[in-house]
Amino acid sequence: MEEGGVNVIDLTQADESFVKELEALGADELRECIQCGKCGATCPMALAGLEFFIKRIVHAANLGLRDILLEDSSVWGCQSCNRCVEICPMDVKPYELIQAIRRAAMKVESCPANTYEGLRNLYRFGHAVYPKGYEERRKKAGLPEKPPTAISYDELRKKYQEILRNTILEEIAPFPLD
Amino acid sequence: MKKIGFFLGCNIPFNRPDVEYSARYLLNELGYEIVELEGATCCPAFGTMPSLDLVGWAAASAWNLTIAEEKGVDIVTGCGSCYGSLNEARHHMEKHPEVKEQVNKILSKVGKEYKGTVKVWNFINFLYEDVGLEKLKSKIKHNLNGLKCAVQTGCHNLWPSKAYPTNEDNTFFPTRLREICEAMGGVAPHYSTITDCCGMGALRSTASEKSLNLFKKKLDVIKEEIDPDITVMGCSSCLLQFDAGQALLVEQKKLNYKIPALHIVQLAAIAMGADPEKATVLASIPLNGVITKIKGGN
Ligand code: SF4
Ligand code: SF4
Ligand code: SF4
Ligand code: SF4
Repeated sequence: MEEGGVNVIDLTQADESFVKELEALGADELRECIQCGKCGATCPMALAGLEFFIKRIVHAANLGLRDILLEDSSVWGCQSCNRCVEICPMDVKPYELIQAIRRAAMKVESCPANTYEGLRNLYRFGHAVYPKGYEERRKKAGLPEKPPTAISYDELRKKYQEILRNTILEEIAPFPLD
Repeated sequence: MKKIGFFLGCNIPFNRPDVEYSARYLLNELGYEIVELEGATCCPAFGTMPSLDLVGWAAASAWNLTIAEEKGVDIVTGCGSCYGSLNEARHHMEKHPEVKEQVNKILSKVGKEYKGTVKVWNFINFLYEDVGLEKLKSKIKHNLNGLKCAVQTGCHNLWPSKAYPTNEDNTFFPTRLREICEAMGGVAPHYSTITDCCGMGALRSTASEKSLNLFKKKLDVIKEEIDPDITVMGCSSCLLQFDAGQALLVEQKKLNYKIPALHIVQLAAIAMGADPEKATVLASIPLNGVITKIKGGN
């Protein structure tokens, strides 16, 4: 997977069924886009220099360019900041398109490795971010070694895991949910 | 005594527990009883369940929201992403009753039900509205003594505004965090890139160098336009970028100045008499000058 890999749009790749898939995954106003570019002008990904920023992603999505969208890593660099949602004059909700693309990509295991790490931590510990050495840091701040979250309550954590097992995670996780 | 549920998330309790210490000190000083949300988990983070599907995301968030519902309290969080993820999930369930229904089907397997009665605050809006600037002022022991603050509200604390129960008058010109710093005796001018993203988060994990360059651009503008004593955050993830991220830029010789960074709860706690050592013990950028200035203000 590389970033910014889209410079030529190949219309023979257009696939209407992918547009429908994205609409079903949350990008329901996708076709309202008028390519005004306002989302791109406010997007931190664009400001940071990722080539395939949000306006182009909306364009490619409307054309149903499945392979390009699933292979490019830019959608995983999205900050979930919702500036684009706030500013879009057509209420396309571009960020919800980003999520839809990620959801489509997860189904075919086309996502960066650290996505699985976060999911595995979320399932095992109840925390996506679970860095080593935190007990020491907490002691320095004069706090008990463990916070009163799911990490301190085995029974509650098991219930949370049961909830996650009843979601789509059960189908998608490439690691055992035990 | 007013009660409030303190939602920890992950980064605050595990990476910056000095922020947790400060938030607890601050809430106590302001006369709130902190209700522990036992068994709370990750909000969940945007790169996890929200990137899988809407119902899974909403169910994972609803787990956290119901803990507060069962205790009859609202929630406050120091992390912008937690504020965003929990509020957006809440908003989706409110707008789509069928999502809420599916979530409740899942929750019922562990004997829970999501009603939708909880309000999720961030510390900026909580201090601004629930506490109020007058009360905040009245609790200050060490006036900030003209400390010059560059504020960083954080994107998730502003957008999508439709998901938030309260917000700035103009989200592209935020003033609440500035007003809070000024109420405590600081000076907090506007600057041109005040709403720019700091680059922490998915961008930092996907394109680390571009993320840090984006952050450096913002820092350079802050330095040039207001040259502050300190930067003040409304979000713990922004704090990781402004503190540890800044230290990394210095180490890589890409930055030749250092501006200390604190979360608003740290600054407010110190102003209310918290032990500055404990309140900032995990900061990478040294704070010495700042503490002296605050302590000299009384
Ligand atoms: S702001 Fe909206 S309408 Fe304009 S290009 Fe972006 S998605 Fe399309
Ligand atoms: S939510 Fe993502 S796509 Fe939208 S402006 Fe923010 S970074 Fe860009
Ligand atoms: S947003 Fe970050 S800190 Fe907050 S709960 Fe989620 S992963 Fe943890
Ligand atoms: S850490 Fe960065 S991306 Fe997250 S809220 Fe703060 S400014 Fe926005």
